[in-house]
Amino acid sequence: MAADGGGSAVSALSMERIQSLTDLADLEAAYSRLCEEEKVVQEELDALLEQQSTIENKMVALHRMGPNLQLIEGDAQQLAGMITFTCNLAENVSSKVRQLDLAKNRLYQAIQRADDILDLKFCMDGVQTALRNEDYEQAAAHIHRYLSLDKSVIELSRQGKEGGIIDANLKLLQEAEQRLKTIVTEKFDTAMKQGDLPQVERFFKIFPLLGLHEEGLSKFSEYLCKQVANKAEENLQLVMGTDMSDRRAAVIFADTLTLLFEGIARIVETHQPIVETYYGPGRLYTLIKHLQVECDRQVEKVVDKFIKERDYHRQFQQVQNSMMRSASAEKIEPRELDPILTEVTLMNARSELYLRFIKRRIISDFEVGDSMASEEVKQEHQKYLDKLLNNCLLSRTMQELIGYYITMEEYFMRETVNKAVAMDSYEKGQLTSSMVDDVFYIVKKCIGRALSSSSIDCLCAMINHSTTELESDFREVLYNKLKQGFPATTFQDFQRGVTSAVNIMHSSLQQGKFDTKGIESTDEAKQSFLVTLNNVEVCSENIMTLKKTLESDCSKLLSQGFGGEQAQAKIDSCLSDMAAVSNKFRDLLQEGLNELNSTAIKPQVKPWINLFLSVSHNIEEEEFSDYEANDPWVQQFIVNLEQQMTEFKAGLSPVIYDTLTGLMTSLIAIELEKVLLKSTFSRLGGLQFDKELRSLIAYLTTVTTWTIRDKFARLSQMATILNLERVTEILDYWGPNSGPLTWRLTPAEVRQVLALRIDFRSEDIKRLRL
Amino acid sequence: MSMEDYDFLFKIVLIGNAGVGKTCLVRRFTQGLFPPGQGATIGVDFMIKTVEINGEKVKLQIWDTAGQERFRSITQSYYRSANALILTYDITCEESFRCLPEWLREIEQYASNKVITVLVGNKIDLADKREVSQQRAAEFSEAQDMYYLETSAKESDNVEKLFLDLACRLISEARQNTLVNNVSSPLPGEGKTQQADSSCCMAT
Repeated sequence: MAADGGGSAVSALSMERIQSLTDLADLEAAYSRLCEEEKVVQEELDALLEQQSTIENKMVALHRMGPNLQLIEGDAQQLAGMITFTCNLAENVSSKVRQLDLAKNRLYQAIQRADDILDLKFCMDGVQTALRNEDYEQAAAHIHRYLSLDKSVIELSRQGKEGGIIDANLKLLQEAEQRLKTIVTEKFDTAMKQGDLPQVERFFKIFPLLGLHEEGLSKFSEYLCKQVANKAEENLQLVMGTDMSDRRAAVIFADTLTLLFEGIARIVETHQPIVETYYGPGRLYTLIKHLQVECDRQVEKVVDKFIKERDYHRQFQQVQNSMMRSASAEKIEPRELDPILTEVTLMNARSELYLRFIKRRIISDFEVGDSMASEEVKQEHQKYLDKLLNNCLLSRTMQELIGYYITMEEYFMRETVNKAVAMDSYEKGQLTSSMVDDVFYIVKKCIGRALSSSSIDCLCAMINHSTTELESDFREVLYNKLKQGFPATTFQDFQRGVTSAVNIMHSSLQQGKFDTKGIESTDEAKQSFLVTLNNVEVCSENIMTLKKTLESDCSKLLSQGFGGEQAQAKIDSCLSDMAAVSNKFRDLLQEGLNELNSTAIKPQVKPWINLFLSVSHNIEEEEFSDYEANDPWVQQFIVNLEQQMTEFKAGLSPVIYDTLTGLMTSLIAIELEKVLLKSTFSRLGGLQFDKELRSLIAYLTTVTTWTIRDKFARLSQMATILNLERVTEILDYWGPNSGPLTWRLTPAEVRQVLALRIDFRSEDIKRLRL
Repeated sequence: MSMEDYDFLFKIVLIGNAGVGKTCLVRRFTQGLFPPGQGATIGVDFMIKTVEINGEKVKLQIWDTAGQERFRSITQSYYRSANALILTYDITCEESFRCLPEWLREIEQYASNKVITVLVGNKIDLADKREVSQQRAAEFSEAQDMYYLETSAKESDNVEKLFLDLACRLISEARQNTLVNNVSSPLPGEGKTQQADSSCCMAT
């Protein structure tokens, strides 16, 4: 700091500069500046001097610290020495501990080995004693102990001083093992032969101790299979002796299968705990695999008997022949198939139930066994299970039976539907004829039976066949009936009468065969047409109801765990195809109604409307009052309509009738507009038309549930125009003055209607600005 | 927006002898998998895949049927509602080719007459074991007026092409039908302008 101050204390004025100064004033100025500078330097020096004492104090303090520092250094060196020493000591101690630990482990191993050797000796002695005493459990326990010993122990024992003795003993032990294995197998076989369950179970429990898990399970299954076989044989004998009048005679084979399955299920139920306890989890699969072989063998016997006794294959063959050649003489009577179809579905349902049972058992057993297993092992086990379930003869046999069943059920359905159609009858007062209810009863029955088989594929196949039956065959029947048309009355009656007569002759020639043309009179033809319309509508509804019922039935089946992962999707798809047929019936209904409207209603209504032309609307006061008293047209028209529609109202379902009146109302509106535009009107004529139109609308409103104002909007607007006082009055209603009224008439049409008024001048109309 | 998020829905049914690779073709197309050691199909299997063709969503309902005889009455019930049938044989198995006429009889008997049938020779990855020459199959398909293609489900050869071309043909067919009877057209494709359909398939 001082040096710094010194540096800056160099005067701003250099010596040369001062020496060169000559002027007094300049010298004075330089002097005063130098004085000032000196003063500043003086002050700085004072300040520095003041700090001197503080600095000196600090120096003294530093000097005092010197000896202390030396002390600390000595201490630190001592400490370091101590730490090193301690460290060495600890190292020493811990290495000793490690040595001790090693020694301890060796000691334990030595003890273990000594124990093992002792055990081995004990086993050697024990096995002999136990075998001598026929205490096979004890002997097996010894062998088990021996088998679970570390092999190196045995090696070690042989290397010892007593190697020779141990070697000999080991040989004895191995011999004992072999002997025990033979004895146990023999004893088991004897017990099995004698059917001595306690002994069988006794030796069954010994196998796993000898490491013979597979053999034990296979031998035990052999025993169980024999039990199954004996029981099944008995049951089959019983079947052959069953009286045909027995209550269960019709389903006796299904019952026999049920007994077989229940027997096996009971065996699994009873013996699963032993297997689990003595063989460990995950072994049930092996047991059931063995049992399934016997099950398959017995199923084959029962099914063979079933096929033979029930003539299953021949019936199938016959059905197939009937289906190929539709006009075959020896057609099989569908009713005869009924019991066998029911029995087959029952057989399949029982099989599905049984397969589901073993599937669940095996899965849960694997789950316990595989709780720590890798994913691959689990998948492997799943594969085993799938293979067992899918490839067992039981599954294949049932698939075969169901395959035949579906064809036969399809035939049953088609033939029974044909019968229902042939025997179709109609009772007065009913809207539909018998065949609709019958056909849906049959379809429901057939699908229901397929459903009762618990096989999703079988169910879907029958849904598909039903869809085909309804969409093609049955819809065709109704379509053909509608195609004959609705016979028109009046002059067409005559024509129809002639054809009917010819038809009757035809039908009487083809006696016994249903002939839709055999309609005796126009009335019947009419009724037939209307009934068919109702039938079509009910079909469309029934299909939707059937679909809904099946949906809930299927979800019940699926919730019980039947069917694979895609079962729901399959059923949904098949059912939605079925639902689509409902729309096809709706389309058919619409076609039928259009036909009815154009052939029955239009030819009648048109002449009635045309009568309007013969009633002059160019009238004066006198005629107007006359019309008031004696209505010239509208009342009679209404009466005619009423008469015509009563027939339809009585014969058609409310929904169809409503649609029909809708069609008729549109027709009236269109036709009336046509004749209106051909008439001429006076002022009062316009008023008359307005009255007539109001009556007509009032009447039609009472017969329809739809609002008809809309259909008559144009006509009402025409009536308004015909009622005007003067041409220009239209402007009070037109354009910005129209208010809530929406004109349905174009300006050209307005002019056209205005021109119908004979009292309106065409120049006025032309002059209108619309 | 409607729940059914597609412009077209078609049902495709695969048929043919057991073991010709129907399931593998379906798996390859729908899941991109080739599961080795595929077990025999039981009854029918059902898969759905939605594809986009020229900007239109086409939902394909694929029914994979069991080839074994005992399932025939189940599989036959699906023919009638099918828009297309894929008749499959194995190029390394003469027998599967020789059975084709029998399958055609079944189609004749049960399927709708509007159905499109495609002949597919599968397993071309096993070229050294080929028993049915391409020419024979081509001649056969020509005589029967069928579209013909050889595939490998394993190597994924022509599998996409098979289904996508088929979808294209179904679309143009559906359009023609709506043009012919525009009275009742339940197909959602209605109202769209007819494009040059015939060229759309071959690109993929």
